[in-house]
Amino acid sequence: MTKPSLPVNSPLRRGFAVAIAAGLGVGPASAHTAQSGFVLLLPTDVYLIAGSLAVAATVIFVTVLPGATLARLFRPRRLGSLPDLSQLRAATSLIALGCLALLIVAGHLGPSDPLSNLLPLAIWTVWWICLVAVQGVFGDVWAWVNPWTGFQRLANGGGQPPLKLPAALGQWPAVVIFGLAMGFALADPAPDSPPRLAGFVAGYALFTLAGVTVFGARWLRQVECFTIMLRWFATLAPLQLRRWASIGFPGWASLRAPVPPVSGAVFIIVLLATGSFDGLNETFWWFARIGINPLAFPGRSEIIWDTTLGLIGANVLLVAAFWGCAALGVLLVRAFVADTAPSTTLAFRRLSVSLLPIALGYHIAHFFTAFLVNGQYALVALSDPLANGADLLNLGQFYVTTGFFNTRDTVQTIFRVQAGAIVIAHILGVLMAHRIADDLFTTRRAALLGQIPLALFMVLYTLLGLWLLAAPRGA
Amino acid sequence: MTRKTLLKPDYSRRKAIRTMGLGAGALAASTALPRFVQAQSAAPIKIGFQVHRTGIGASYGRWYDRTTTAVVKRINDAGGINGRPIEIIAEDDGTDAKRGAEVIEKFATQSKCDIAFGTLFSHVVIGSAPRAGELKLPYFVVSEGHHVASGMLNRYTLQPGITDVKSQVQAMAPYVANNLGKKVTMIYADFAFGHDHRDYFSAAVEAQGGEVVAKIAIPPTETSFTKYFPQIPRETEVVYHVMVGPAVLTFVKEMGEFFGPSSPEIFGFIDSLEAVDIASPGLEFLEGSYFWEGMPRYAQADQTDYEKEYRDAVGVDANGASVTDSKDVSTYAHMFGCWETMNIIKAGMEACDYQGPEQRQALIEAVEAMSDMPAGIDHPQGPKRFNGKTHQTFGVQYISKVEGGKMNVVHTTSIEDTLYPDEVDYTTQSF
Repeated sequence: MTKPSLPVNSPLRRGFAVAIAAGLGVGPASAHTAQSGFVLLLPTDVYLIAGSLAVAATVIFVTVLPGATLARLFRPRRLGSLPDLSQLRAATSLIALGCLALLIVAGHLGPSDPLSNLLPLAIWTVWWICLVAVQGVFGDVWAWVNPWTGFQRLANGGGQPPLKLPAALGQWPAVVIFGLAMGFALADPAPDSPPRLAGFVAGYALFTLAGVTVFGARWLRQVECFTIMLRWFATLAPLQLRRWASIGFPGWASLRAPVPPVSGAVFIIVLLATGSFDGLNETFWWFARIGINPLAFPGRSEIIWDTTLGLIGANVLLVAAFWGCAALGVLLVRAFVADTAPSTTLAFRRLSVSLLPIALGYHIAHFFTAFLVNGQYALVALSDPLANGADLLNLGQFYVTTGFFNTRDTVQTIFRVQAGAIVIAHILGVLMAHRIADDLFTTRRAALLGQIPLALFMVLYTLLGLWLLAAPRGA
Repeated sequence: MTRKTLLKPDYSRRKAIRTMGLGAGALAASTALPRFVQAQSAAPIKIGFQVHRTGIGASYGRWYDRTTTAVVKRINDAGGINGRPIEIIAEDDGTDAKRGAEVIEKFATQSKCDIAFGTLFSHVVIGSAPRAGELKLPYFVVSEGHHVASGMLNRYTLQPGITDVKSQVQAMAPYVANNLGKKVTMIYADFAFGHDHRDYFSAAVEAQGGEVVAKIAIPPTETSFTKYFPQIPRETEVVYHVMVGPAVLTFVKEMGEFFGPSSPEIFGFIDSLEAVDIASPGLEFLEGSYFWEGMPRYAQADQTDYEKEYRDAVGVDANGASVTDSKDVSTYAHMFGCWETMNIIKAGMEACDYQGPEQRQALIEAVEAMSDMPAGIDHPQGPKRFNGKTHQTFGVQYISKVEGGKMNVVHTTSIEDTLYPDEVDYTTQSF
């Protein structure tokens, strides 16, 4: 799919060129050239090395740590029992569904400017960027604002749904639908165009409401990819509020969640692969691959297939790489330890959970800059939801600013936050992988040996993540 | 219907009302709302605003939006156009040519705009203009490209409020050759943008008796420049640089390190550092160097009242940054084009007593008939001379020197410096 040549000499590119680029749309667009310019002046090599070494040091550290210590680390403390709030959650869910309907209406009838219309700001900035991060840090907020659960209870009337989803389907439908949704976010020319987005959201809402009506809550566990994703991320939070309020080291609840099926493990890897590709596709490196001059980026409609194939490729590659790590670990155990090793499939399924914090870390790091800018637009739109000049939040004179991209100090702070998210996420990933390996393999020696490939993978992935932050970007 | 009205896009009003919240004059302004009574119809004139909200041009789009909001507020506060208020219908073109054309179509067929206005990046203009021509929708662009005057577009596309790159580059040559030096080395990004500078400037400086002694093309994705500087010939008196993209800061820093204190004169286009604070660490080397500016970013000692009024209206301080964030540097050298273009649209509509889409052709003819426009609050960048045949405006250009981390204007070109022979006569094309 490589384009024949750089279209740089085309007369169609004549005239004005790119001095600064700030694609602050949703999908791949979060580059700001002033910011990117300052990043190029930062000692990013030092951050890259230091961050990767920190993760490598964690790997070494956990190998000398007694297995019981790590088990203790991930053991939660119960704080007390909680009342059953499911009725209340059903009510807030229905309110959320009503809000979603209003947002869809706003998408169709409101301002066509995506930075003034509430729908794209609510979907991409408030929900996709913020809620995912909040979910991973503070816990299952989605349980309260999930627009499908209340309707599902109503539709099924507390009884059995008319049809049962075959268990054999696993979470493959969710994998496919998530892939399609991300294809829309990353490859579609205008995923934040209000009417276009309204159409997609409405279509997905109807599809999901029909799904839960016919197949009940299982739909939300096998097909509705966003609920599956957000529930997984919520398990990373230290505080878990279910029947019991419990608190523990981040990720403790992920380790206690039911082991995902193969499809579920693939789903988690797809979360990470998609997030990684979303950073990769902004880099000069990627533009060179697809034969586009990043300084004269022609627009997303020119690279729909490049992006789509890149997204698919990144996912296939990462699933294969992770499977390879799991398989190699099992092979190493079989070869060097007189022990019965678990199957590669089981290792793949269980170890995939250790990628959750990394996927979340990528999400936070990648969208942090977009959050800083589009969060302001969201605030303005919330203050004036009907675009009739209201100022409900009393913002007064409010000019959206990107000044923090224009000084070295603020850019350095932003970079540190992003790099910190990547490094912390990988350290947590290493700890979780180690804890999982301890359970997966029967002896300590086997556990250490069996996770060598994955540990190496995580150190390299840290390097990749930090490189993505530091690399020159365009478009 | 009520609900629909409530949710109707009312972009200009939202922004306008917000702007009114500013300071002590707010109440006075809001009580002096204009009355659109004298018009045959008080229905708004709908102007489709094609804007880079997302994509590579979004930084520019944000300031184009802010400037447009400010000029529309000013016009509406003063009674609108022919007694009718302007309503801005903003559509994001994603800085994407294909979407640009779709936006034009939407303006013409769905939102029933009277005209289209806006966008900056050349590829979007070039992708959109044919559709505007087919739909017979007047398309006022603020793009700076030479594509309008080159004849590649059509009668419905005009660029009356911003000068084109060919005239800008050409107008630099007399000052550079006669004040900075005759032997010039050009360092430019190796794609169309840089090539335009290379070609236009080489010809112009030779006409001044100067000479381009070296042309150093830098690949667009280059991020380290030290290996290119030794290619600068020793005889070089002036380095002319036009680099763009994220590596510009690195370029400037490395050039400073290469030359040290004894450098030739340095001249560049502010496009390289538009919206970047000149006083940023690493840019100290720019001290003493020269820049083309479309409009001086820093308020000059002899600032005119209208320039100050324009600055205040857009919400930009004396350093060219947002009044609410001194680090948020505007795209000052370009965004005036939105302000001036909107005023020209107003003048054109008034000249032909524009009442509705059936008078689109009359509007174009009215603008084509324009020529000299004096500097003033309608044209705060300076006087303009519109060429109705080429649909391109010409105006003065500024050369500024970086002194104490600010840019001071050292030379203002004449309009004559910017002129070149016509390459097209759009008025011979039928509607």
